[in-house]
Amino acid sequence: MKRTVLTTLLALATLASPLSLAATPPNTLVVAQAIDDIISLDPAEGYELTSVQALNSLYQRLVQPDPAHPATLRPALASRWQPTADGRGLLFTLRHGARFASQNPLRPEDVVFSLSRAVKLNKAPAFILNELGWKADNVDSYLRKAGADQVEVRWPAKVGPAFALSILSSPVASIVDQKTALANAQGGDEGNTWLKTHSAGSGPFKIRSYQPHEALVLDANPTSPGGAPKLRAVILKNVADAASRRLLIEQGDADIARDLGVDQIASLQGKPGVRVQSIPSAAIDYLAFNIANNDNPALKNPALWQAARWLVDYQGVANKLLKGQFLVHQSFLPQGFPAALDDNPYKYDPTRARAILAKAGLKNVTIKVDVFNQPPFLNIAQSLQASFAAAGIRLELVPAVGSQVYAKVRARQQQAVFLSWTPDYFDPHTNASAFAINRDDGVKTLAWRSGWTIPALSDKTDAAVAEVNPARRARLYQEIQREVQRNSPFVVAFQAREQLVLRSNVKGYVQGLNADMVYFDKVVK
Amino acid sequence: MIRRFPPCQRARRAAGALASLLLTLFGLLLFTFLLAHLAPIDPALQVVGDHASEASYAAARHGLGLDQSLPRQFVHYVWRLMHGDLGISRSTGQPVASDLLQAFPATLELATVAMLGGGLGGLGLALLAARHPGGWSDRLARVIAIFGYSVPIFWLGLIGLLLFYARWHWAAGPGRVDDIFLYTRPAGSGLLLFDSLRAGDGELLRNVIAHLWLPATVLALNSLAGVARVMRAALLEELHKEYVTGARARGSGEWRIVCRHVLPNTAGMLVTVLALSYASLLEGAVLTETVFAWPGIGRYLTTALFAADTPAILGATLVIGLCFVLLNMLADVLARLLDPRTR
Repeated sequence: MKRTVLTTLLALATLASPLSLAATPPNTLVVAQAIDDIISLDPAEGYELTSVQALNSLYQRLVQPDPAHPATLRPALASRWQPTADGRGLLFTLRHGARFASQNPLRPEDVVFSLSRAVKLNKAPAFILNELGWKADNVDSYLRKAGADQVEVRWPAKVGPAFALSILSSPVASIVDQKTALANAQGGDEGNTWLKTHSAGSGPFKIRSYQPHEALVLDANPTSPGGAPKLRAVILKNVADAASRRLLIEQGDADIARDLGVDQIASLQGKPGVRVQSIPSAAIDYLAFNIANNDNPALKNPALWQAARWLVDYQGVANKLLKGQFLVHQSFLPQGFPAALDDNPYKYDPTRARAILAKAGLKNVTIKVDVFNQPPFLNIAQSLQASFAAAGIRLELVPAVGSQVYAKVRARQQQAVFLSWTPDYFDPHTNASAFAINRDDGVKTLAWRSGWTIPALSDKTDAAVAEVNPARRARLYQEIQREVQRNSPFVVAFQAREQLVLRSNVKGYVQGLNADMVYFDKVVK
Repeated sequence: MIRRFPPCQRARRAAGALASLLLTLFGLLLFTFLLAHLAPIDPALQVVGDHASEASYAAARHGLGLDQSLPRQFVHYVWRLMHGDLGISRSTGQPVASDLLQAFPATLELATVAMLGGGLGGLGLALLAARHPGGWSDRLARVIAIFGYSVPIFWLGLIGLLLFYARWHWAAGPGRVDDIFLYTRPAGSGLLLFDSLRAGDGELLRNVIAHLWLPATVLALNSLAGVARVMRAALLEELHKEYVTGARARGSGEWRIVCRHVLPNTAGMLVTVLALSYASLLEGAVLTETVFAWPGIGRYLTTALFAADTPAILGATLVIGLCFVLLNMLADVLARLLDPRTR
């Protein structure tokens, strides 16, 4: 009997053992991450983290940031461009011989179609193109085929060509193969339904299959105008649990693992076969008081905002609590962005904060702080709770899921909120328009959500985006940041860093500051 | 012998059962719909994100039908459902029906293997325990049952992965198949065991088994605990009845008594326990599916819940509800067939 049991166990083990040693397929990059956030892979609609990461591999824009120096734009589907005489337009010459993955040649009509449909579909990222003044009813009058390989792009907004180029380098301005999209259109949706799960671009990869909650499989597009990728395929594999992702990368069943916890990263540091890569991200984390909330008069008092700047344990969070995942950063343009400020004038100093509060007569202050109910936000909020208590300010944390927090903030029902903000495109205006414009005109900027009335600063921010001279423009943004840093209900505290774990044999992976700057085309293994 | 009903009475009973099924499902839908709308999550914000303009946000609300009153939204949903349309999932952008056709087979396969393992293992343990109550086998069975019940399933899953996948390489890692099969996997029913057998693909079959056995065992252990506890009690009760004493007096062997007399008398109970256990497994084991990256209905429903994705929540609830009701009905019918006392 015993022998039978042992024999059976041995047979089972033999059956399973050779199967479990499989590594990742050759010439294929397997990325273990949670891909549950994907709603759409249509560049006119997809605005989730995983979607924009994938869009960079599937589509090209007219111009794109240089992966090594994101502030420099380089030709992609346009070989050259020049501003029009009035400074409110650009004439693009398309790259000769460029083809989509379908082998359809790139035409000016594709450019007009792509930009026009992104505005007219009016999905999540459409607001980026709206910055140029394009609306559904006027966009067609600003886009024109100017020759067999030329397209003229004009805009009504008072912004210069440099800003327009930044907008046109964002994923929503990806150029879609019109013929393929329209061949798969359903009921006048300009191919939107089909493009949610398929691709019609010219990027280094194309979608082979997308199984929601399971995997997004990309195949190489060897005829991409930007050059053929080195790998045959990329698999973004949905592994929702961080501990499972860690096991996969450790065993070699994944080549890259994202979003591991601080402890997991620490345990993988120095292990053979894997390496940890820290990449600065453009996401900044800030605490914002809501002046428009009348339940708590302390919120309107600038002394509270001033004291709060001395009550964040910046170094404790960045160097101990969430070591490696955050940098101390105290202005709204992240490090690496044009016109960013590199100095951090504030430190944790409860004595100074207490003096500021005492001078203003603020006593027994209690503030409700809304926060996402997950790490690292909750961890940082708990640290704030402890450090603010040192000056007698009681923070009551109100954890909730993301959309619940956003809904509350968009309705200005919060007292204070601890949130993260990610730039939408690679230009200072993306964050300046959020933090330093509030015209009470229905646009719910971050300044509006905090009830911060700033007509003069709003004018200055508008002047900055219209400024053509790069040096003057940068100076304006630095002045605006100083103003927000000194005298606003915002306490910008941290800039995120993404820690990836890669197998040692993976070379050539590049990731930039912005969420969309993920480059798989040069990866070899 | 089964009592025969005249045809008209049978038709009436069938119609009654169908009406009861439809009413149950309608009640389930209504309740789930109301609960989904009680959640303080804004589904439109979930779709367009925090940065979107007010115009895009309003367009999304309109597109999702959220600008209509709740009763109107529900009536529209039921009307479309009656025409076979489960709607479009807001979190995957895909028709809910096609999402469910992908997610449900993954759960069905895992749950079926786990139920078979749990059922057989549980019955075996119950037999061992009931054979010598208070003896070492009974104590061992109790320890296993308590272990299966009380150990958190996600912990067991992670420890299982750590030992059998990472250390001993007896099991494959998270996921349903190795990545290489994402290219070659035959399109079929979604039940990979069945599909690989039908395609005669031995390599795929071995890979599917290597991925399946560990999560199925983890789930089976939990289900085994329930079956073993209930069946032990049922078997002990039967073993103390007079007909067993009579059989022993006639000189029948213990195993013969158990197999020939006791087990058939507890078969109705076994069917009920198994049906309930299977139904709860088909709900989708969220934690197991998360740890093992199993793209099943549990994870689908959880993701939908966090996104306030009402069409997906309702679709998944409908499938789970249907499984529950049908399995209960099946258990009733089987119990009636197996146990004359219940007729």
